[in-house]
Amino acid sequence: MSQNMTGSFLPLTRRNLADSWRGLLGWTAGVTGAIFLYVPLYSSFSGDNAGFEDIIASLPDGLASTLGFQDLASGAGYVQATYLGLIGFVLFTIAATLWSSAAIAGDEESGSLELTLAHGVSRVQIMAERSLGVILRLLWLSIVSALLILALNDSSGIDLEPAHVIGGCAALFGVGVLAASFGLAVGAITARRSFASAAAAGISLLGYILNSLGNQSADVEWLHNLSPYYWAFGNSPLSEGADWGALGLIFGISAVMLVLGGFIFNRRDVSA
Amino acid sequence: MTYAIETQALTKRYGKNTALDGLDLAVETGSVFGMIGPNGAGKTTAMRLLLDIIRPTSGSATVLGQSPITGGAALRRDIGFLPGELLLEGRVTGRSLLKHYAEISGPVAPGRIDSLAERLGLDLTRHVRTLSKGNKQKLGLVQAFMHEPKLLVLDEPTSGLDPLVQQEFLSMVREAQHNGQTVFLSSHVLSEIQNAADQVAVLRNGAVVKVGDVASLRASAIRRVVIDFTDAAADDIRTALLALPQLANLTVADGEVIQVTGTVEGHIDALVKAIAPFHVVDLRVEEQDLESSVIDLYSNEANK
Repeated sequence: MSQNMTGSFLPLTRRNLADSWRGLLGWTAGVTGAIFLYVPLYSSFSGDNAGFEDIIASLPDGLASTLGFQDLASGAGYVQATYLGLIGFVLFTIAATLWSSAAIAGDEESGSLELTLAHGVSRVQIMAERSLGVILRLLWLSIVSALLILALNDSSGIDLEPAHVIGGCAALFGVGVLAASFGLAVGAITARRSFASAAAAGISLLGYILNSLGNQSADVEWLHNLSPYYWAFGNSPLSEGADWGALGLIFGISAVMLVLGGFIFNRRDVSA
Repeated sequence: MTYAIETQALTKRYGKNTALDGLDLAVETGSVFGMIGPNGAGKTTAMRLLLDIIRPTSGSATVLGQSPITGGAALRRDIGFLPGELLLEGRVTGRSLLKHYAEISGPVAPGRIDSLAERLGLDLTRHVRTLSKGNKQKLGLVQAFMHEPKLLVLDEPTSGLDPLVQQEFLSMVREAQHNGQTVFLSSHVLSEIQNAADQVAVLRNGAVVKVGDVASLRASAIRRVVIDFTDAAADDIRTALLALPQLANLTVADGEVIQVTGTVEGHIDALVKAIAPFHVVDLRVEEQDLESSVIDLYSNEANK
């Protein structure tokens, strides 16, 4: 008889990461490129003569607030408006959408989930380990983002508190995890990759739209309360530090979605 | 008598469509049990229910003494499964994929993967997505056999394999049986599994229409015969053969060589005796697609 270990540590998560490292390399390059493109530009815009405020003032009414450009003159406002709240948010949303919809629904649609399920793993274990694989990849992109912003902190003149950079990237991680949890749960419930993608991208887009609408006037400011995007970024984490309560809410909703998805996944038929 | 697999009135419906309609099966522990039937007969549905990939609408199944649902992951470690439509993708080598499956199934003896791959002629260093259908099938067989499970559930195991590899597969099945493992396999071509299976169940429309050993199924099967005569009158031959109730679909082609074709139900004894007075150049009894002939037989009976 063999003495090989069978219950090895997180086999499905490790497989998930091993299968996706090439893609993750590409995403890392994308995040790196975006930060290196935007953050150093701040030094050339900042200062008394840069006229940054004038550019913002010249934009049509509402556009600046829709894009979150109210406070471009400070380093924190600039990085929030360009990276965390815009390019980074878009990259994280796309990554979370692709990864979460592939993890269960994509694997099921391609037909390869069946063989994994026929082995000594439970549905709940598949849901948990593959979700962990997606979350770890998002965490990696968040860590890369924080380290690169910190690396450029002095040279670009954005002048951020390191703890606030970590808080801001934690908020970015939070919105990524929220989108991924919707994609994972809806994929696990419906077995349809398209529904999973729509759910993941949808929750991010909805949060962004509610936030932008809420920015328009005091009458509709209450819409912020419904926007996960606002929960994550509304307190300007790069200047104020993370709002851990709000992030707790985001992670809590994500966890509820994953549990719900796993619960139904465990009770339904898996299609060929 | 213990049973590795037992099902009682196992039923699976998808809306109005009934994929499995009250399946009753009993597979003895240590036996090789074949399941044949046309596409859509419910073979794959039955196997997927045993693996808890899908859940029954009604009825029950017991696998190695446990319900597939409550047995869960621990039960599946004792099963080796080959899906009917094996989809293997990814930029990983066969060896890496097998290592992954070994981690999530029962313990695999050192060297076991290599010896199985060698027997089947499978190159483990190649990327899975570059493998041909036959080689993917070999990989699927290795992952099913490698942990020497108590029960092997193999859906169309010989599909895509060339005859030499099919022979190797049959010897693997015999070895498994020798080790006390139970093998439950399906095919839509009985000839591929008839040398391996002790018992065969014929499925049609989601239910078993006949269970028996291969010999008894063959005895009741329909065969196609082709007989060449010379130095005889076609009409005499026709008259002699038309008298045989077992012979159907008779054609007689006159010429220098008179060629007679037809199908025979059951034993061919009467036919051989009926043609004995004539000069027979050639007699071919074709072991045709036995399961389709068995199915024809039973569907004909059902229609009578």
